[in-house]
Amino acid sequence: MQETASSAVDTLTKSYSERWDGLEGIEQSSGFVQMMASNDLIFVVLGVSLIIWFVLLFYLIKVDRNVSKLEELIKNSSDEA
Amino acid sequence: MKPWKYIVAVWMTVVITAGFLIRIPEIPILEQSARNLFLHVPMWFTMMVAFIMAFYYSLRYLNDEHLDWDLKAETATAVGLLFGICGLLTGSLWAKFTWGTWWTFSEPRMNLSALAMLIFVAYFILRSAFNDREKRAKISAIYNIFGVTTIPFLLYIIPRQLPSLHPGADGNPAFSDMTAPELRLIFYPAVIGFIGLAIWMMDVVKRYKTVQLQLSGKQ
Repeated sequence: MQETASSAVDTLTKSYSERWDGLEGIEQSSGFVQMMASNDLIFVVLGVSLIIWFVLLFYLIKVDRNVSKLEELIKNSSDEA
Repeated sequence: MKPWKYIVAVWMTVVITAGFLIRIPEIPILEQSARNLFLHVPMWFTMMVAFIMAFYYSLRYLNDEHLDWDLKAETATAVGLLFGICGLLTGSLWAKFTWGTWWTFSEPRMNLSALAMLIFVAYFILRSAFNDREKRAKISAIYNIFGVTTIPFLLYIIPRQLPSLHPGADGNPAFSDMTAPELRLIFYPAVIGFIGLAIWMMDVVKRYKTVQLQLSGKQ
């Protein structure tokens, strides 16, 4: 179907529209944004990975605490009986 | 929550961050995907540790027939299987971009590790076939001892004797001169971190199952 790579619609090397400029104007951005945009965007992957890790970690801690509460509940009720 | 769990949480966070941030040498074909070493390989190490734990718990169950050992064996097998499935999926994705295919039947390690996972899927199917707890515990302990014994052959011994693209074939160790020394600085801590995480998960699942049994026993 595609005879050459350039015959396909190029949405990657040029901005799709004026309102979607990607990294253009990065020089005026804050230091944090400039840092994130450096090194071929590897920090963005790091950020995404850490978000996933922290969400999973938060969930594991939450379930751990809930089980602890249930254990306490059973312990207390068996002490009363 | 016990203090060692906080250590695991911080440890893993540092390992993940450092795994992205260290400079790695240029390796042809692998390129930046060499960082997968910190993620894909620890999955299998962790699975192995979990299955060895399950093997030990199964032996202990057959020794004194205390149902708590059965609960521990089931939990360790479940967590081990989870990590093994992660290892298969990550390996498949990695293979697509280094070997050029998601799956190939000419790759012994890939297929034998999938077979190993099926053995442990069968463990849970076997468990579900019994309503009597004692009978289920005894038969699944025996099955598990058999199942874990096949793992070293399927994952290490047979693939090493056969030609393969996967590192650790043709009689070679997996870590060779090709593996850059700086990768090991993150790899070993990652293995320890993932094993810690797996033991944490086992702890939560085991306690959940115990609570569940205690509550259902009271009704």
